[in-house]
Amino acid sequence: MTALARAISRPEPVHEFAGRSPLEGLDRRSVGFADVLAQSVAAVAPSAAATTVILLVAGVSGTATVPAVVLAALIALIVARTVNQFARRMVTSGSLYTYAARGLGPAAGLATGAAILVGYAFISVFALLGGAHYFSIVLERVWVGAGGAATTVALLVIEAVILAVVLVRGIRLSTRIAFVVELASVLIIVVLLIVLLVQIGSFDLGAIVPTELSPSALAAGAVLALTAFVGFESAATLGVEARAPLRNIPRAIVWTVIVAGGLYVVAAYTQVAGFRALGLDLSASSSPVNTLATANGLDAWGVLVDVGIAASFLACAIASTTALTRVLFAMGRDGVAPVWLGRVHARYRTPIGAVAVAVPLVAVIPVVFAAFGGGVWGAMETVIVISAAGYIAAYAVVCVAAPVFLRRIGELTVAATVVALASAAALVGGLVTYLVVEGSAGNPGVWISLAIAVVAAGAIAWRVRRGARSLDGIGSYDEPVASEVLGGVARDREAEPHRA
Amino acid sequence: MPEHPAGSPRSGPTLTARQPRAIQTALTVLEAVAEIGAGATAREISAVLGLPRATTYRLLNLLVQDEYLVRTPDLSGFALGAKVVHLAAAAAPVRMPRAARDVLASARAEVRGGVHVVLYAEGRVAIADADPDFPLSDATRLAREPERFALGRLLLVEHGVTGAFAGAAASDLASWGVTRQIGELSAGYGCLAVPIRDATGVLAGAVGFSGPRHRVEEPGGVISVLAPVAQRLSPLLT
Repeated sequence: MTALARAISRPEPVHEFAGRSPLEGLDRRSVGFADVLAQSVAAVAPSAAATTVILLVAGVSGTATVPAVVLAALIALIVARTVNQFARRMVTSGSLYTYAARGLGPAAGLATGAAILVGYAFISVFALLGGAHYFSIVLERVWVGAGGAATTVALLVIEAVILAVVLVRGIRLSTRIAFVVELASVLIIVVLLIVLLVQIGSFDLGAIVPTELSPSALAAGAVLALTAFVGFESAATLGVEARAPLRNIPRAIVWTVIVAGGLYVVAAYTQVAGFRALGLDLSASSSPVNTLATANGLDAWGVLVDVGIAASFLACAIASTTALTRVLFAMGRDGVAPVWLGRVHARYRTPIGAVAVAVPLVAVIPVVFAAFGGGVWGAMETVIVISAAGYIAAYAVVCVAAPVFLRRIGELTVAATVVALASAAALVGGLVTYLVVEGSAGNPGVWISLAIAVVAAGAIAWRVRRGARSLDGIGSYDEPVASEVLGGVARDREAEPHRA
Repeated sequence: MPEHPAGSPRSGPTLTARQPRAIQTALTVLEAVAEIGAGATAREISAVLGLPRATTYRLLNLLVQDEYLVRTPDLSGFALGAKVVHLAAAAAPVRMPRAARDVLASARAEVRGGVHVVLYAEGRVAIADADPDFPLSDATRLAREPERFALGRLLLVEHGVTGAFAGAAASDLASWGVTRQIGELSAGYGCLAVPIRDATGVLAGAVGFSGPRHRVEEPGGVISVLAPVAQRLSPLLT
């Protein structure tokens, strides 16, 4: 009889596991791979980014636009691989916050948590503004004179109501909406790109080979393109709610980068080659995809693309706020944030405490802003910088944490270390470049980001000094429970802290 | 220990090649965790199996993804998941019919040493009845490195796998009708395997003997008892 057969027929009692998960209460193991992928893809909002970010990249990279986008995709891929070192090994809703806490301890966990909360919250604000902006463009096309501040405020309120209902009603509704919206909006943009590529005709080598290679222009463009990938990790916030999470979440994270990267590269080539064919300057255009569509007699598609982008922005707001609430929930359960943030809705099994804070926060800011007549587009440019800085800072800490974590659990390999450190170096360099580029362009978002960083650092230093002991247990994750272990006998949670 | 010895089941387009080897290796990982016990670390498992560390980590993560293994709360150890019970049907020992067990019992009474019966199913060695008085030296290793055991060599030679062991094993089969291993696993001891063939002559299993070195070096005595046993078991097991 083999050891395995013996263990199956007469299991030895195993006492190391608890009877209940610290993250109990969410709708456990309820969404499948497609939903998890939709969550991440929606948070990235690739159809919106494919039409807007390429333009920004072209502005700094010029003829090196396509290489810059390819470089950004490669960086996103190695960051995704490093994030997956954690996602393959533990299930959590705290995502990067929990990973950093497990790898580098409480202070790094809190810093990463603050950074990713800023990322998720401001991208939600950005997406709500973007949704209102594009919906009002569509409205104006069909009903001239429909635009204006009042319309924007009304659209924002409608979006906020949808957001609140979806977040309270449960993860399945939210990921299903994300799935349908992303599938449709990505298809619309892909079909448009293919039609444009056919009309542009034969492959234009000049569109991908830069005329003069300037490393700084390439790097600045790559960093801007990298901001179009942020959010790819947000599937990790659904750890508790996903089925087979240790398989599906890493897959969703990598596939999000592949889907978005593929779309961006094709979109970059199409826009560069299309403008070369027309003999126009891409960086001088305000809406290149619409310009190309009109020039190629596809005006009607332009409307469809705008509808797709508007819906994609709303899905992005839903997905990013979902991620925001899951991280707040994990912080509430960890005891680093008020305990009521860890409360769940008895019937819908959503983190209702976190939803009650997050939804009003991300919904009220843009409404107030628009009501006082602020320019939507200018606000979006500021907000996206704050958000991207938060995301990239959080990714950087997690990439440093990965080798430390792997070493602690005795699973460090040379390849993993090299990938993690290369990712961290690219992210830190990228973040600095990004802030310098945006700061010198006069974007106030840079100064707001730095102010938030200073305040957060002060608060964390105070918290760590004051309550070092109470922070020891942070980074709790969805541990396997005794019933999932062969021969598992639940241990007494109070008698034995769960963290070794 | 060489990681990929020439002639291991990793080479050669044989019956074993049709069996996804990853599954076989995955099962030996589960065996190793079962043997070490809950809390086995990745390093220990890789040492026990003699697998490269990166390969072990990948296999462990795959098995954890599918919930056959779970990580301990500190994330550095592994325990068998409740889901391995699903494997029970596959892993359940082949239960031999009573007539076969009677044949085996009388053989054990006659031979001083361990007498085991294995069946070869889908290119794997499945232990049907291990001697309770003289236990198998290392069942996990038999599954992982069949080329080191007489019972494994018989299967490999039959499937045309070549390697360092193959020449000697083939000549043993020609002269004695058995395969042998002498002193390679523990000094002073050896083992041999007598084939059990079905009515058409296809290898179905084997009767194994393990005992003192000299009785394997001069196997006539053991074979004179076990060869008839293998013949009597054939209609009962195939």
